Amino acid sequence: MTRRQSLSWLPILVTALFAALLLSLWAGSLSLSLTELFATLCGHPTSPTHAAIVLKIRLPRALLAALVGAALGASGGAFQAVLRNPLADPYILGVSGGAALGAVAALTLGCSSPLLLPAAAFVGACGALFLVYWVAQAHRGSPHTLILSGVMVGSLASALLLFLLWMSPADPVRTAVFWLAGNLNMVDPDWLPWAALWIGCAFVGLWRQSRALDLFTQGEEVAADLGLNVGASRLLLFATAGALTAAAVAMAGLVGFVGLTVPHVVRMIWGPSHRHLLPASALLGAAFLMAADALSRTLLAPAEIPVGVVTALLGAPFFLYLLRKREGGQ
Amino acid sequence: MIAVENLHFAYDNEPVLRGIDLEVKRGEILAILGPNGCGKSTLLRLLRGVLTPAEGRVLWQGRDAVRLGRKAMARLAAVVPQSMQAPFPYPVREMVAMGRYAHQSGFLGSTSADRKAVEKALAVTDILHLGKRPVTDLSGGELQRVLLARALAQETPVLLLDEATSHLDLDHRLEIAELLVRLNREQGTTVVQVSHDLDLAAETSHRILLLAADGTPTALGSPTEVFTPSNLRQVFRVEVKVESNPYTGAPRAYPVRRGNAWQQKPPRIHLFCGGGSGGELLRRLHLAGGEITVGPLNRGDYDQVLASVFELETALEEPFCPISAATLQTARGLCRQAEALVVAPTVWGPGNLASLELAREALSRRIPVLLVDPSAERDYTGGRAWEMLQAIHAAGGRVVPDTEAVLDLLKDKPWESNDR
Repeated sequence: MTRRQSLSWLPILVTALFAALLLSLWAGSLSLSLTELFATLCGHPTSPTHAAIVLKIRLPRALLAALVGAALGASGGAFQAVLRNPLADPYILGVSGGAALGAVAALTLGCSSPLLLPAAAFVGACGALFLVYWVAQAHRGSPHTLILSGVMVGSLASALLLFLLWMSPADPVRTAVFWLAGNLNMVDPDWLPWAALWIGCAFVGLWRQSRALDLFTQGEEVAADLGLNVGASRLLLFATAGALTAAAVAMAGLVGFVGLTVPHVVRMIWGPSHRHLLPASALLGAAFLMAADALSRTLLAPAEIPVGVVTALLGAPFFLYLLRKREGGQ
Repeated sequence: MIAVENLHFAYDNEPVLRGIDLEVKRGEILAILGPNGCGKSTLLRLLRGVLTPAEGRVLWQGRDAVRLGRKAMARLAAVVPQSMQAPFPYPVREMVAMGRYAHQSGFLGSTSADRKAVEKALAVTDILHLGKRPVTDLSGGELQRVLLARALAQETPVLLLDEATSHLDLDHRLEIAELLVRLNREQGTTVVQVSHDLDLAAETSHRILLLAADGTPTALGSPTEVFTPSNLRQVFRVEVKVESNPYTGAPRAYPVRRGNAWQQKPPRIHLFCGGGSGGELLRRLHLAGGEITVGPLNRGDYDQVLASVFELETALEEPFCPISAATLQTARGLCRQAEALVVAPTVWGPGNLASLELAREALSRRIPVLLVDPSAERDYTGGRAWEMLQAIHAAGGRVVPDTEAVLDLLKDKPWESNDR
């Protein structure tokens, strides 16, 4: 009885995912009726242009948005639990910034394979994460120190990233906008399977540690008393959540606030238990980012807004609301 | 079960525990009692290997607690903390199920043994009806029972309780005490509890370890052996009478209220002090309700500041000046009105030597004089002050060791017997 109730998120979020996918395939500068869209998807395209746009351009892009959103949603949920801080998010913690710096450094050195780029981003993400954690650890119990040091490390990473881009021969403004504002239109569609593999493995690794995440929310001393090897477990959780963030950033640049808002919404509706929260956050994150991408392509069509701008416009007010609520509660 | 050998611990070179030797026997209920900050909770942390001792060691069935590994320890001992913040809204049942972590190996599912242990723990702690409620909505007492239930779901041979019942209402506190006694009797659960509640600890424990404020073990034994007025006075610095609870036979400590010490009118007492030597005397005499006068004292002196806070009548001298004739006269006036004089263990120099003269005068008028811990080491007058102190003692001044003894003596109203 309880089991069925606790799985109620699955059908709802899968439906939301498909709705967002359809929206993402349908929306864009070339308008398309729903019948034309369904005909194209069923293999009877009304025109070869439709087929090319929907299947060759919009579909890979929607899938990329789904992967990136899922990775960010799940890693945000994990960071909030390990750090016991509801304001945590890979972007706010500076982890995304570190990942972007790692990726850009790798590109500057000339390597751009779909396996090496996320790996370099992973190194940058871990560096930023440990720096932030090391600073914040001196002020245990202060959630705002963590956020503050995260924002600072993120700024530092952005500054170094801009420095690298201005040194490089390619058009610096365009690439800077890609990395700092988040974008889903630069990646070669051939990279998709690799991104899926990387994100899928990291997600399963994270999901397997659901129980440890539950214990971390109780505080580290209690977690240890309940039998958790806190030090090793934290390292492993940082690594897997960092890997998810790194893959997302390597594919789409700095897309912020997905990891903040999505797990909050999931927790509010379906509770904090991580064996449900992680997959639910991944599904909702995927749906959210596909919808945000559709929005970014239609708001100023035919021009495109970077998708990170859309998520920040939606997510930053939510962050302020949480900050205000916490202050009021104390 | 747990052997503690010559355990020492310090936080940043500040010693917290000194030389604890203890053998927790299988199947006993042991209480650790002591004043705030004596290291009770630290001892509990050392027991479960969360902290590493500076010296000595803790052995669980022969194995060092620090090297035991968290999972192995969690199967041996469950901890009930004092309280916790609950930032994440887990339903009560899921929170209690976290207690099963050390028994689980799979990654998502739970076994029927897990579910049985959780339901049983919810039932015995009387929170079955809260199963689906988020823990963020619970009252302090309900949350405390959830924490106990989580520890019970751990199904360990040992329970460690850190002030676990301090937030509870009387009925639930007694219920949990009963539950612990029953678990102990029926399943042989060993219980180590850190507590503030002397009486409940005496009712439920087989043995008690009493720690002094500086972390030295003061007494270890059965409640009757440990609950002696002298032990409790030494540790908690209050006067208690120990009687046995007429219904259970367990010893009970009754604090003797000092405020009621003066039977009729509060006495008028003059105090000689300075440089902080009279701080504790001033505070305790003031709290006991006596009418206190002080001086001579220089303005800005530590004791003068305290006396002005309590609004006590004081013979005042300007800062850093020797005592003038006028101030001395004021002090003499205060001494004349006093029913008893108390001389604090202060440092004697040429500046305050005149105070001892006043004390001698008072003694000649048969006013009782109490000398608190007089010592030649605090004499900076080349022996004159020590000579006078000895003369006062010879003329009938009473030497007392500390503030406690002053209060004891004043309770007996020495001025009345002297008058006769």
